[in-house]
Amino acid sequence: MCIDSQMLSAYLDGELKEPYKAQVEEHLEHCAACRRHLEEMMALDRRIREADFPDELLLRSKDRIFGLLDSKYFQNGRKVSFMRRRLEISLPSLITAAAAVVFIFIGGFMFFGASPEQTEDILPSFQLQADPGSVHFVSDSSSLDNFTLEEILQYLDSKGYNVDISIKGLQPLETETESTPESVS
Amino acid sequence: MEIKSTDRDDFRCIYDANYHLIMQVIMHIVYNIEIAEDLTQEAFERFYVKNMTFPSEDDARYWLLRVAKNLALNHIRRNKREIEMVEKVRQMPSAAVESRDGAQAAVEAENRREVRAAIEALPENLRMVIQLKEYSGLDYKSIAKVLGISETNVKVRVHRARKKLEETLSTEDRDVY
Repeated sequence: MCIDSQMLSAYLDGELKEPYKAQVEEHLEHCAACRRHLEEMMALDRRIREADFPDELLLRSKDRIFGLLDSKYFQNGRKVSFMRRRLEISLPSLITAAAAVVFIFIGGFMFFGASPEQTEDILPSFQLQADPGSVHFVSDSSSLDNFTLEEILQYLDSKGYNVDISIKGLQPLETETESTPESVS
Repeated sequence: MEIKSTDRDDFRCIYDANYHLIMQVIMHIVYNIEIAEDLTQEAFERFYVKNMTFPSEDDARYWLLRVAKNLALNHIRRNKREIEMVEKVRQMPSAAVESRDGAQAAVEAENRREVRAAIEALPENLRMVIQLKEYSGLDYKSIAKVLGISETNVKVRVHRARKKLEETLSTEDRDVY
């Protein structure tokens, strides 16, 4: 009985163990059909191997790539520590993290309130200027109504402003109430 | 000998011993030298970053082969569409053979094209086995370890792959000539 082709394939690869190997060899001695089958298999193998890529092509970048890896991981023969590699953080995430810190800091003041005393505790040089006593609304106290036009002009003149005054829409006096629309430009 | 992947001497030793093998395995999957080089570099980078100690050089080699094979297969799956587009270019005979007369080179290039097409037509489980066998020169035991299958399974698959390749290649010959 002739050899099973799977066994022949294993024999070709040198993977057949004893006693099968000896049996196959013995059979091949006197069976031309099996010898031919084996030769065909060998020819196919050669043909497949010829389709391999040439070494020059496969090895063309071997040294270059090693150089890259060497400088990346083994600079000066010293290996890059785990921590150092982990610290490679992208710029956007760094900015996000910084923004988050600022946001939490400000948020802390907003949510938990900050009385002037607390502010002074945290930031001694920073004093809250805007307590109600020190706030003056311009429109409340110092209205221009309290000054005569002459005083205003004198004041502006002393400050170096050049003021032109023109009077428009002058009407004859009919009623007792005096109305002289003026515009200061 | 124990191999520590972050030790420079060990790394160099594994790199020198396996670069060709890894390139070959990847190249027979992606058929593009630049991509194969990138993936080979990545395989070795993973080897370093893994920061592992291997019981022997062989274990390191099996690990690298597994990673290389997976990187290459993933690349193929991810880029299937682009790859189909350059199919024809890829199938063209490579201009690797020089310093021989043109006719001989043309025959070899033609053979290379046919064989690659035939291997590519194999189902993945047979393809990987026959490539590791024929091009990487690994024995059944090593192939079994790389692929995570039994040695018997390797034997069966090698045989099946050969049978299919024989059919494909001889049919092609009849059809073409």
